[in-house]
Amino acid sequence: MAASVSSSVSPLPSSGWGPLRRAWAVCAKDAAQELRRRIAAASLFFFAATAVTLVSFAVGPFGLPAEARDRVCSALLWIILFFCAATGLPRAFVREEETGTAYALRKVVSSSLTLAGKTLFNYVLFLAITAVTVPAFAILLEWRMGSAGALVVVMVLGGYGLSVVSTFLAALVAKASQKNVLFVVISFPLLLPLLLSAITATIAAAGGEMASTPIRVIVAYDGAATCAAYLLASAAWED
Amino acid sequence: MLATTLEARELSKAFAGPPLFTKLSFRAESGFLAVRGRNGSGKTTLLKILASLAHASSGSVSVRRGDAELAGDERRLAVGWAGPDLAFYEDFTAVENLRFFGRAGGRPAGEAAIAQRLDDVGLSGAFDRRVGAFSTGMKQRLKIAFSLLFDPPILLLDEPMIGLDADGRAIVEKAVGAQRRAGLVVLASNDSRDFLEPDQTIELGDRETADVRR
Repeated sequence: MAASVSSSVSPLPSSGWGPLRRAWAVCAKDAAQELRRRIAAASLFFFAATAVTLVSFAVGPFGLPAEARDRVCSALLWIILFFCAATGLPRAFVREEETGTAYALRKVVSSSLTLAGKTLFNYVLFLAITAVTVPAFAILLEWRMGSAGALVVVMVLGGYGLSVVSTFLAALVAKASQKNVLFVVISFPLLLPLLLSAITATIAAAGGEMASTPIRVIVAYDGAATCAAYLLASAAWED
Repeated sequence: MLATTLEARELSKAFAGPPLFTKLSFRAESGFLAVRGRNGSGKTTLLKILASLAHASSGSVSVRRGDAELAGDERRLAVGWAGPDLAFYEDFTAVENLRFFGRAGGRPAGEAAIAQRLDDVGLSGAFDRRVGAFSTGMKQRLKIAFSLLFDPPILLLDEPMIGLDADGRAIVEKAVGAQRRAGLVVLASNDSRDFLEPDQTIELGDRETADVRR
């Protein structure tokens, strides 16, 4: 079963854009889509608003003993952020599968660049949500932050790890029938080390300290998650 | 001027159940390769495998330029593809879609080049219309424009005439004619009218059989 014919064609021109610009193109496309539909942002904001409001009513500024306030508030804050991520961030890949655009994307750009672009978009989205949620949370619960700078460091580093892992898992579960359940079930054990360190670092920030050990753990986690996501991108996203 | 070659070696593909085809081998550098077969014979799956959009159960596909095997982006962009599963961002216009895919592919096309691509497939009047408002035939034309976006030496077309009117069919026939002169076109279809004197034919028949002939 073999046959052949022959002739010649012009060589392909070399690639014009480097990987960073191509990943940025994917990120910009997701941002443009989000600006037109606002599905992911709206779901994230509404989830965050609902959760913060409920927590503030249930716990309230006077519902917690002073010595437990920092611990409980830190844990509640990261629980809210975790479920925010689970609510909105998977859409980056799920939307491509649901609308059938995944094949076109796979045809022109590698899985690792797609993942990089979508991670960047999700990270920016997460930071935007955090920038609104954290002050609202602190105000409603009258939670005084000892070191706002330390909190920003924790949010920036923790949010990066959360975005990388959430985006990678979104690629992994995008073709599954029970993708939402699968996402939460898989993401919980994978994100647990990050969340525990982030909570510990947030408690320290509330007390006015920059906790070096949990911050180092978060940085290491971010690095490991980035490497793993890059190496496994094609296995997660391609057929 | 190096020849770009598409070669399949002992390709087999099975989902749950009996295989679609086994040990299918062929090699083509230019001209027109037709892929025939009844519904469910594996034409779409074969073209996806050739386009690196699906994995074969066994066997391999290589794309070579001269003696060098292409990989990664070079291979991805050297093989154009359009098929029934291809879809576009419906919130974007046709121009925005092609502009994005050009940038994501690392070869951003200028506005004039994109306009020319769309004009070539008869979509010059729909530059600013959202793809979500396109008819089936218009989307099919956009698929052809997408498949040709990077001027690939190898073009894979899966049922390219679906939903097209007479003008649309003429556009595809013209594109196929140009491509077979410049490189290789592989076209899969159920409709014998779609095959314009192929240089080679792959006949995907009953389970596990495939025939390649010139």
